[in-house]
Amino acid sequence: MRRWRERASTACGLIAAVFLMAMMLLTVADVTLRAAFNLPIRGVYELIELLLAWTFFLALPCVFLRDENIVVNSIDDMAPRFVPLLKRSAGVLAAVILAVMAWQGFIAARDSIEFNDVTADLGLPRFWHWTAVLLGIVGSTLAALVMAFRRRGAP
Amino acid sequence: MSVAVIGMLGVVLLLVLILLRVPIAVALAASGLLGYAAIDGWLPALRMFGLVPYQLASAYSLSVIPLFILMGAVAARGNMAAELFQACNAVFSGVRGALANATIGACALFGAICGSSIATAATFSKVAIPEMRRHGYDPAFAAGAVASAGTLDVLIPPSVLIAIYAIVAEQSLVKLYAAAFIPGFVLAGLYVLVVWIVAAIRPHWIPKVEATPFRMRLRASIGMWKLGVLFFFAVFGIYLGWFSPTEAAALAAFVAIIIAFATGAMGWRGLIDCLLETVYTTAAIFFIVVGAFIFSRFIVLTQFPNELAKWVQVAGLSPAWVLLAVIALYVVLGTFLDEVSTILITVPVTLPLILGLGYDGIWFGIFVTVMCTIGLISPPTGMTVFVIQAQHPDIPVMRIYLGTLPFLVADFVLVALLIFWPSLALWLPRVLY
Repeated sequence: MRRWRERASTACGLIAAVFLMAMMLLTVADVTLRAAFNLPIRGVYELIELLLAWTFFLALPCVFLRDENIVVNSIDDMAPRFVPLLKRSAGVLAAVILAVMAWQGFIAARDSIEFNDVTADLGLPRFWHWTAVLLGIVGSTLAALVMAFRRRGAP
Repeated sequence: MSVAVIGMLGVVLLLVLILLRVPIAVALAASGLLGYAAIDGWLPALRMFGLVPYQLASAYSLSVIPLFILMGAVAARGNMAAELFQACNAVFSGVRGALANATIGACALFGAICGSSIATAATFSKVAIPEMRRHGYDPAFAAGAVASAGTLDVLIPPSVLIAIYAIVAEQSLVKLYAAAFIPGFVLAGLYVLVVWIVAAIRPHWIPKVEATPFRMRLRASIGMWKLGVLFFFAVFGIYLGWFSPTEAAALAAFVAIIIAFATGAMGWRGLIDCLLETVYTTAAIFFIVVGAFIFSRFIVLTQFPNELAKWVQVAGLSPAWVLLAVIALYVVLGTFLDEVSTILITVPVTLPLILGLGYDGIWFGIFVTVMCTIGLISPPTGMTVFVIQAQHPDIPVMRIYLGTLPFLVADFVLVALLIFWPSLALWLPRVLY
């Protein structure tokens, strides 16, 4: 199970890393072309926004699978016996919250696609932004559930 | 139930969830959703809940965060810390406290590029503490110096925390970076002063180290060039108006990768590790940003900040008392919350209050950031202290806290300077823009 989690998080992380690298290279290319030839890349802001969405949302399930969410763990020293139960409860709460977010995101995405919502400059369909958002949130819901119901004592 | 009571209950629920080990992002989102629904009904609340992640996904201003984190990850892996420490040591060579001051100087410059207090403290606890102990420095003071100097990155531009403040407070990041420059280096200067004062009072804690010959000092100083180049792209490019913060971050990350490859400090495997480290850290931070935006929608609905500002006016509290209360709030939160969460949770409430008193939003950004540096070394959860203790288990954690005490005084001196002399932060942005 642990190995499966590591593989899944590395795979998501690597794809997110490709988008991050693309974001960096695109910005460098835009600055260079603008400075050297006065030829900025058209719609670079919109492309960066889209790449950022894919970077962030594809990496989000990794945060759950790697158990790297930021938490305040002051209670660990005070009541160590309750920590496993608290971790499990927090995982379930996270899954519920993310599931509600995915459900509402899906409704908003459907409306956006029905209205053929596109970006202002390049006319990119907003469908691509929503796909990243929903993939990340659904993936994170599943990851939160996996972590909440993993065997007791599993790393 | 009145809106004010719902507001208070929302804040209490948030704190309870955080203390019960719920991830901060989830605690913010859950209490924000419930509070919003209690005031405005479930339908608008759920609609807002589904839209916030999408709105943040298409926020260009956020792109600066992963790019600066990437630059820092590459700099940390590229062996730049050790070279910088040697270079700073060469600069201070022959002066009492040279090694401690070299640590402060190197942490200030490296932290600015690296952007992570934890990474800076972890790196310099390996590089500087053994060197200081070898020369007879008091271990607690050596550890305290690294723990405190490790927090300088939070203030010195390009700081990720200031970028987060700019987003949540809707302030100009360019002006904030300009405003942070002088206080950042003043704090580093105050730390140097602390070393000299401690050296005068307790000379046996900080023995004098023999001076290095001039030729060797010159050679070691050349080691600063890599960070100098990165600093130029990441900071001066923005100040000079050549690049936007996102462009500066992308160029600096790109140049860092080229330097690391060209000098053989990093290969493809290292680059992949840096990219992975960056996307994981970015996702953890962004998730809190999503939660914080949901929570702030609820806070806006409660009118809590405006009510608080009105209450302060009616109660006739002087700005000094309000500032003292704000300082106390950040000191308390700093004892158990990380700096990103502290900024995201509090700024929607404290900023309107401070603006109501006639202070500037840019000034407050620097003030809050300095308060966060204090939280990083405050007991019981000073993160940089724990990082050092993990690498030097023979130095008890309480002794490291004692070692940070003189530097905490310097932090509070900077807070006082900012309050009594706001131009310390506001002069440079006024001149540049």
